[in-house]
Amino acid sequence: MTDRIERELWLPATPDTVWDAVTSDGWLADHVRIDLRPGGDAQFDSDGRARSGWVEDVSVPERLIFWWAVDDEPASRVELKIEERGDGTRLRIVETRPLEVLDLVGVPLPGAGGSTYGPALVAA
Amino acid sequence: MTVPGPSDRVGALGASGADDRAGAVFGALSDPTRRALLAAIAEHPAATATELASELPISRQAVLKHLNALTDAGLLNRTRAGREVRYQFTPAPLSDAVGWMAEVGAEWDERLALLRGQLGDDVHAGPRGA
Repeated sequence: MTDRIERELWLPATPDTVWDAVTSDGWLADHVRIDLRPGGDAQFDSDGRARSGWVEDVSVPERLIFWWAVDDEPASRVELKIEERGDGTRLRIVETRPLEVLDLVGVPLPGAGGSTYGPALVAA
Repeated sequence: MTVPGPSDRVGALGASGADDRAGAVFGALSDPTRRALLAAIAEHPAATATELASELPISRQAVLKHLNALTDAGLLNRTRAGREVRYQFTPAPLSDAVGWMAEVGAEWDERLALLRGQLGDDVHAGPRGA
């Protein structure tokens, strides 16, 4: 199992509009600076929290993959996929911490009523 | 100026204390014998190396080696009772992952709600009831 978060949203807007919205200041962070090319620097600053990272892959307006990290936390990888769907656009987000939380199935969490780590995550 | 490749950059971002700690946890759990040991300790709290060796098909010496690795990774607590050393499961390093899922998931939900407000149906169809 990997630490992984997935979200999906359909919006009645064009992919270009969605791209602009998700890469503008105020969405990923209050202030966003991304050098839109593989290996480019990225800086995400919000009140009291600064993240820095870099771009893994980019294809305007359909794909942006980047890594970000707050200083003392493990880096995570964010994948934004923008796809034309029907009269609008589907935005898909996947954030992972690729440090695998390996095969923890079978290791019970004390105090969790004997449930294992996997189902506990699903329930959360 | 050289632009480091992606693999270099991962290393640069990963060089933090928390990441090292997570790496130690995942490294410790990558071994099936150590996972079996953890499971055995979770079932028999405060077990000794001798007790654990009797439950697993490995020597007491091998059990001790794995117990040290798990303790170093912060997954086990050691307590001394007389001549005995007892081991206890500490799930704190794992709950960190659960906390991350909850916290970061909530951040994305907030961002999606913001987008829906900006570009969603409401913009075109007027306000709707929640």
